[in-house]
Amino acid sequence: MNPALFSPGLLLASAVTLTALGLWLLLPRGSENRSAWWLGWLLGAVALAGFVCAGKRLGGIGEEAVFLTVSLVAIVSGTATIVSRSPVYSAIWFALSLAGVAGVLLVLGAQFLGVATIVVYAGAILVMFLFVLMLAQPSGLASYDRVSSEPLLSAVTGAVLLGLLTLSIGRLSVGPATPEPLALASAASDSPATSSHAAAIDSLVKNHVARLGGELFGRHLLAVEAAGVLLLVALIGSIAIVSRGEPDVVDHSLDLQPLTATKQSQGGRR
Amino acid sequence: MTSLPLLQNALSVGAILFVLGLVGILTRRNLIVMFLSAELMLQGVSVSLVAWSRFHGDWGGQVLVIFILTVAACEAAIALVFVLQAFARTGRLDAAAWQSLRESSLSRVVDQQLPSIDTLPPVWPTLSPAGVLPQADENETLQREHV
Repeated sequence: MNPALFSPGLLLASAVTLTALGLWLLLPRGSENRSAWWLGWLLGAVALAGFVCAGKRLGGIGEEAVFLTVSLVAIVSGTATIVSRSPVYSAIWFALSLAGVAGVLLVLGAQFLGVATIVVYAGAILVMFLFVLMLAQPSGLASYDRVSSEPLLSAVTGAVLLGLLTLSIGRLSVGPATPEPLALASAASDSPATSSHAAAIDSLVKNHVARLGGELFGRHLLAVEAAGVLLLVALIGSIAIVSRGEPDVVDHSLDLQPLTATKQSQGGRR
Repeated sequence: MTSLPLLQNALSVGAILFVLGLVGILTRRNLIVMFLSAELMLQGVSVSLVAWSRFHGDWGGQVLVIFILTVAACEAAIALVFVLQAFARTGRLDAAAWQSLRESSLSRVVDQQLPSIDTLPPVWPTLSPAGVLPQADENETLQREHV
């Protein structure tokens, strides 16, 4: 085979293009087309494989079955979150994405954060979203859920940003034998070499929660206090905003059709 | 898995999640989906922070993620209250319903004429209406012993 055809740069470029195209096909554009929908998912899958291959070529992105599985869950359901027409489905897909993210955090050794993500996000924040959806969602698919603003430009922007990030992440290992971040870290702490590094990683896993709590309430005590005050302020603030009573009498006849020609006459007011 | 490929994998996942959230918040017009996309971006950042924390072997990244969780909870509470108030005023969760707040030099969002929903009608399970005696199939009733 022609090796130039599979150069990592070209692979990355085609993955970026496919990502943009797939996202654009998936995003709501006003007309529902099942074949475009499936084509979008297919292109997204191919692009993901392209990113994995390009990352491998660029700097040996390794694989591990558990990590691949949970990250795939997180990514696929994250995509479904932003392309679902119904916001309720978006919220449910987001819960699945949170499960994937929690798995990634567990693989990374952050046990407390993995559990806290599930408890705080999926247990509290997401339920709050669902409650608001129940209060506010009109029945059926709203028109503004079936179109998106500038889907092509946004998809291209996101894909290009992703390509640049993959490029820089893949470059991390292409540098000198000692990776730069590690060199920086060891230079900053004046600790030599990788044996202490491995020991530090071990120390992250052993007695995890106790040591994390010690760090949190030792070095970062002031920040914890500030976070507590922030929570209190948010609580009082949201109650104050919502209990200010009914908003002023609303002229729904005006507001319900702000997108049609009837509002053109008000342009002169500004 | 040694630490550098793991770092790269996790950073890639974080980047992908961040980009997905970015695209979502740029394109979607439902306010609630926009906030879900913002949370998705926060998830991507959290994964990256934890990956760096693991790589450097210190606690800074994880502690920062705990504060991200706190701020996200506060943000969601305040933002959802605002979304509810906005819904009470306009009757819709559309971000474009507030486009009179835009810069005067920008053009207004004009809704395209949407085709009627051409998805397939939902297929409900067929039940015989309550109170109506179902049609008796004589062949079947003959073969039944008793009901």
